[in-house]
Amino acid sequence: MSLRKDTQPQPPFKTLLVANRGEIAIRIIRACREMGIESVAVYSDADIDGSHRRAADRAVHVGPAPATESYLRVDKIIEAARSTGADTIHPGYGFLSEQPALAEACAAAGIVFVGPTPETLAQLGDKIAARLRAAAVGVPVVPGTFEPIDVTGAQGRATANAEAERIGWPLLVKAAAGGGGRGMRRVDSVDQLDEAITSASREAVDAFGDGSVYLERFVERARHVEVQLLGDNQGNVVALGERDCSVQRRHQKLVEEAPAPGLTTEQRHELHQLGLKVASTVGLRNAATAEFLLTADGEFWFLEVNARLQVEHGVTELVADIDLVQEQIWIAAGRPLSARVLASAARAATPQRHALEVRLSAEHPALHFAPAPGRVDRWREPSGPGVRVDAGVEEGSLVSEHYDPLVAKLLVVADDRPHALARLARALDEFEISGIQTTLPFHRWLLRQPDFATATGLSTDLVDRRWQPTELISVAALRAAELAAVAALSAAGATGAAGQYDAQPRQDGSGGDAWWRAGIGEATERLT
Amino acid sequence: MTAKSLRVTIEAVPLVIQPDEADVAAFAPPGRGELVRLLPARAADRAEGIRRFEVVVDGWLFEVATEPAVRAELRDRVARSAAEHHATARLTLRAQIPGRVVRLWVAEGETVERGQRLLAIEAMKMENEIRAPQAGTVEDIRVEVGARVEREDELLSLG
Repeated sequence: MSLRKDTQPQPPFKTLLVANRGEIAIRIIRACREMGIESVAVYSDADIDGSHRRAADRAVHVGPAPATESYLRVDKIIEAARSTGADTIHPGYGFLSEQPALAEACAAAGIVFVGPTPETLAQLGDKIAARLRAAAVGVPVVPGTFEPIDVTGAQGRATANAEAERIGWPLLVKAAAGGGGRGMRRVDSVDQLDEAITSASREAVDAFGDGSVYLERFVERARHVEVQLLGDNQGNVVALGERDCSVQRRHQKLVEEAPAPGLTTEQRHELHQLGLKVASTVGLRNAATAEFLLTADGEFWFLEVNARLQVEHGVTELVADIDLVQEQIWIAAGRPLSARVLASAARAATPQRHALEVRLSAEHPALHFAPAPGRVDRWREPSGPGVRVDAGVEEGSLVSEHYDPLVAKLLVVADDRPHALARLARALDEFEISGIQTTLPFHRWLLRQPDFATATGLSTDLVDRRWQPTELISVAALRAAELAAVAALSAAGATGAAGQYDAQPRQDGSGGDAWWRAGIGEATERLT
Repeated sequence: MTAKSLRVTIEAVPLVIQPDEADVAAFAPPGRGELVRLLPARAADRAEGIRRFEVVVDGWLFEVATEPAVRAELRDRVARSAAEHHATARLTLRAQIPGRVVRLWVAEGETVERGQRLLAIEAMKMENEIRAPQAGTVEDIRVEVGARVEREDELLSLG
């Protein structure tokens, strides 16, 4: 029997600055707390009341609400680190996480960047370069172009059209610097191509500061699977299992799970090896994810590598029994991969647990998932066995239109997929949110779909093919009308006359005084 | 319709019901996952006897207006007689999300079909296309590319 270590190791850093916001900033701050590292948040004008600001030990204002003037400003992030004496910066995901510029500026300022080297970021973060490298080491890649497409001139347009015809329809226009579905367009015929390229490019400029786009075949009925990689500064890289992220809409992941259902142990081995092969070509260090399509024929086709922490890293943490953020920080400090990581990697192809994550976003699932920013009123998270919530908001939080609509991730873990699904359904039932519309109804619907429950219906077009919310929302609306009628009449009865209905909803974001949930008696009491 | 009949309207869906007191008594009170909150009254609400509620059912968020049915029907009659003077309905489109106008596909005087793209608003880094809810002629465009719009701002009218 091995001896337990009951003493905490010395923290590898004194102060860590989190160059991000929302739920991922809070996730990283939590890791710092557990490691004994002081945390520094940065915030824009829109996040003065942001929960990540208050979660950190200290916070530095970095500019106005638009990300290009705050969270994307390398100079302001570095200045914030200098002024607080931060010796390391964690970029989270999105924003500057895959920009070599921040990693370079950190190196120049003598600050440790939690992530790969600027060179690796340049190689892997540029998705065109990554496709080239993967193909060069014999990893099958999705058919498409290996150069940026330019449609500003007549000749460029002709080239784009010819390439598109060669690849075949439908195809995807993708941003070379892209991620999270931004700067991405599906194109079904040649007449849509120019505009798709132009608009994807403009979105990419706004989101990433780089408008380069390329073309890639859209593979129908494919699954999206990805390998979690972790590498140290000594050149050791391991795979910590895979995730299935097939439930997507507008190329945005909605649900993720680990392991990928239905794969054989041999398939898991094969997939992990492909991921490691990609990583080895660029000298990967720290956390990264290699994304693949799993075709209907059972082939893995490489998509891209994200050289950063992923939104969905939590499902791997729950199955692999690893704190990826803490491991990232140890690796950044120069520690080799821990014994715990190596042991977890050794059993990665034979997972013993199952985890699922759903993304709760401020989007309207019956209005084509249109953004639905607003102020959160009630926010009651589920809890109990096997439930984890990584949230970026709380009661009273303002969900700004300036940033990503993701407000929280609900994760569950259990011994196997059926039990994890039951746990997720239970947790979704417990979640109470008001003030903003979220994707909660979509997730509740998804869990009722038999082919999601059996995992036979997993494919990236599941949502587009199947999600028809009209009847769901109609039934809910009728019930909502009844509830309003009950509230209106009981209130009128209580005061004896309509028009003396003076109860005012709370304005201060504190309690929930104007809410009813358990019967008219209570409602009447609160209103009078 | 009794004196205590209500008109309950959910504009977004859209849905209108008109239950009387007995109907309402038969409706189940709020259950698990069902939330009802009184919203602040708008300027004209008090005079009209209108109350607005935010209601959550199964994760769906609705704004629901209730008012005495007698008043609502009176207003309907007034509206009907006014409509006789204006044969065609003019529709003003308002922004449903705050953001920035990044595309404008139509010009004033242009005839559009139902479902045709009118403009795009960028919010949360995604472009959201606004399409014509009915056929008509574009009138009175109140925004330009690059303009910032807030929720409920007027965008253009369809005549």
